[in-house]
Amino acid sequence: MTPLPDSLLEAVASAAVREGLADAIFTRLSTPIGRLLVVQGERGVVRVGFEEEAEDRVLGEVAAGLGPRILASDRELAATRDALDAYFAGEGDPQALPVDLSLVAAPFRHAVLETLHDSVPRGEVVTYGALAQRAGNPRAYRAAATACARNPIPIVVPCHRVLPGSGGIGNYGGGPERKRALLELEGAISPSR
Amino acid sequence: MPRSSDVLPPFWTLIEAHGDELLVHARRMAGEQHAEDVLQDALLRALRAYPRLRHAQHLRAWLYRVTTTAAIDSHRARRRELPTDDVPTTASYDTYDEGAFEALIAPLPDGARTALRLRFVDDLDYEGIADRLGISAVAARQRVSTAVRTLRERLAA
Repeated sequence: MTPLPDSLLEAVASAAVREGLADAIFTRLSTPIGRLLVVQGERGVVRVGFEEEAEDRVLGEVAAGLGPRILASDRELAATRDALDAYFAGEGDPQALPVDLSLVAAPFRHAVLETLHDSVPRGEVVTYGALAQRAGNPRAYRAAATACARNPIPIVVPCHRVLPGSGGIGNYGGGPERKRALLELEGAISPSR
Repeated sequence: MPRSSDVLPPFWTLIEAHGDELLVHARRMAGEQHAEDVLQDALLRALRAYPRLRHAQHLRAWLYRVTTTAAIDSHRARRRELPTDDVPTTASYDTYDEGAFEALIAPLPDGARTALRLRFVDDLDYEGIADRLGISAVAARQRVSTAVRTLRERLAA
């Protein structure tokens, strides 16, 4: 933790954004499923990290993809924070936030996550097979599952809405409990007994 | 695979690791009243230059040099008593250049220049400086602190 005053850090971040000097900005957000690290580039949200993920490592991934000029700012990401806060309070869909999938290099995985982001709104779910089909390759349900497992932008790219065709809740990068909590929040499944 | 010393770390990790000591340095160079403005300016200068750094070594010493330069430019700008808040046009963006640092410390006596170089270019701690100069760590700290004060007084004069 830096003991520098927030006012100083916010002033640096806002001047950097104005001048086009920031490759990405991040903020930490407290939510019912734990603390999230939200990183956003010029084009949109590029990475969401769960609290178990080491912050340095997450920021290092973003630095390798977008560039090393990464700063912290709650103020610059106020709109994103508001959208996520509203979502966890039961309103709206973080899917409406713009995303930057440039950390996903593999073309099919990229297509899967883009399709997911564009086509599965709050309250709906889809199977891995159906998602693979929508992304252009109906037989690639395993690849679709891998794409979801490695999704760099969970919650905003809603991989929690993708379920196994065989039933059950299936796996989730942030753990099945979080997947269940998100689907319950969205009213897609009924609360667990 | 690039070596880890070639990969620039996220800028935030530098602020997190060195922000507090840079603020102390800015206070020493520019005084309490201007320290935060100086550090803000220094961090923005550092951001402008950061992607052009050729390697990820001595980043701490580099940040000290950028902060020193920002403090000095702030002194100059205030001395000129500009009627506006404009950024001084003399501000050098390429402050990672050793030449800029050398030019800044040029008016100081040899001993002071050596102490400043060992501290802020070679990034040695006081033990290291003491070793290099064959003096005690306390004397090394004294010498660096006197050099910084002299630099500040000269610029304020």
